[in-house]
Amino acid sequence: MLNKVVWGKITFFHLLVAVVILLAAILITKILALYFRRFLKNRVSKDHLQLIIKIVSFTIYTIAILSAFAVLGLKLTGVLFGGAMAGIIIGFASQSIVGNFIAGIFLIIEKPIKIGDQVNIDDMTGFVEDIRIISTTIRTYDGLYVRIPNQTVFTTKMVNYVGNIVRRFDYMVGIRYSDDADKAIDIIKDVIEQHPFALKKPKSLVYVDNLGDNAVNIIVRIWAPVSEWYKLKQVMLWKIKVTLEQAGIEIAFPQRTLWFANELKSRSGESD
Amino acid sequence: MFGTYAIPLNLQNEGFSLLIEKEGGLFVYKREAGREKKEQVILGDKKRILINPVEPLNNPKDLSPYLDIEFKRILTIEPGSNRKVFLKFPLEMGVFLSDKKPFDVLDIFTLTKPKYTLYGNPRNGVICKYWESDIFSAPPPVEYYREGVMELTLTNTAKEWEEVSKAIFNAYGMKIYYNDKMVAMKAEMRVMNQSTAETAFLDSPLQNGMKKALELYVAKKIPIATAKFMMREGL
Repeated sequence: MLNKVVWGKITFFHLLVAVVILLAAILITKILALYFRRFLKNRVSKDHLQLIIKIVSFTIYTIAILSAFAVLGLKLTGVLFGGAMAGIIIGFASQSIVGNFIAGIFLIIEKPIKIGDQVNIDDMTGFVEDIRIISTTIRTYDGLYVRIPNQTVFTTKMVNYVGNIVRRFDYMVGIRYSDDADKAIDIIKDVIEQHPFALKKPKSLVYVDNLGDNAVNIIVRIWAPVSEWYKLKQVMLWKIKVTLEQAGIEIAFPQRTLWFANELKSRSGESD
Repeated sequence: MFGTYAIPLNLQNEGFSLLIEKEGGLFVYKREAGREKKEQVILGDKKRILINPVEPLNNPKDLSPYLDIEFKRILTIEPGSNRKVFLKFPLEMGVFLSDKKPFDVLDIFTLTKPKYTLYGNPRNGVICKYWESDIFSAPPPVEYYREGVMELTLTNTAKEWEEVSKAIFNAYGMKIYYNDKMVAMKAEMRVMNQSTAETAFLDSPLQNGMKKALELYVAKKIPIATAKFMMREGL
């Protein structure tokens, strides 16, 4: 049964051994991936871990496929020649894939983004879910799965919102002309000082930026650790508003003062 | 006072209170510190708790392993000299469930006002827990549950007088000791030039008879690569 010829000189036994080699490769890859995830979890970053697993998997699969070919009696020179020819044909037919592949390699080397980063690529904003060899996937803030070819990632303008460890946000606070701007600035500085994540350095800036149509506009620039930036931005403006109002300083609203060329007569005067 | 206590427990101190009491068949941990409250149900057979000063890195969030102590007055040090000064550092208190090792962290809280800062530039710098201290020639009086005393040995290995306005530490390497009077630790700072220095903690008590506090990263089983810090972005 095992010596039964399937094709050319390949027997059923050869075929069985080749299949066992490929299955063993899959099994070893899975075990190694599990091992790496468990033991390297706290030692290397998530994207480096993924890269290590991919390289190890690719190496094992290549060795397994070449071994399976050897068992089946296929000459490697023929396979390599065939592979090279196929590569040229496929390369011409799929230039964009090759471009994406090369861009993927450069992305892995240059590391402008990491898995988990918050980015804007090609007007898509969200979290980097995975950086693969051909494409990068993003989970947008509203939960959409977006796959972006690596060539696009590499060649278009990219913003990494968490690329630096600190980030600034600004507010414009408009107070009435009748309020004391110096007092307002001191109060705002105190509110900033009280919050642990509003950084001591780089120093926050609070100053009168312009005299607007309806308000004295105070600009507030606060630096925060990038991981706390958004949460801090959500709470600080309301804290500033409430604290200013507790001190009798009101947020201004649009108003117009009208001057009449002639004194207005009241309706009661007209009827007289 | 820091140390080991039996359960149930009722500790009332200035600024905080700790209570572990039985409610039905369960033990309930209740802590108040300032406006902050914590309540947690304990399921287990451990009969004792350990209250220890821990590395001041956990409140309000475990955001950074670095502690920046800014000096209220700039210090100038002579070339080739080796001098000792004393600083104050912030305290956090750790509550651990214990009978025998390993210890389990139940709660960490502080009576100090936490603040963070950036050392270096936004690209390559580090976020640090911020603290401001004056420089003292002898151990200063401290509020027992709020501040500790650090003996800092400064060595100027440069050939010129150097100004120092801050010391950044990798607080994971802190070796905190305590007795019933104060919490203390020892550290060193080797000034190499006007913008570079190396800091590290020393594993020895400030006074005889001081007890070593449980190191939180040991309790949490956090692997530590190095306990030193190289200040390259200015002193």
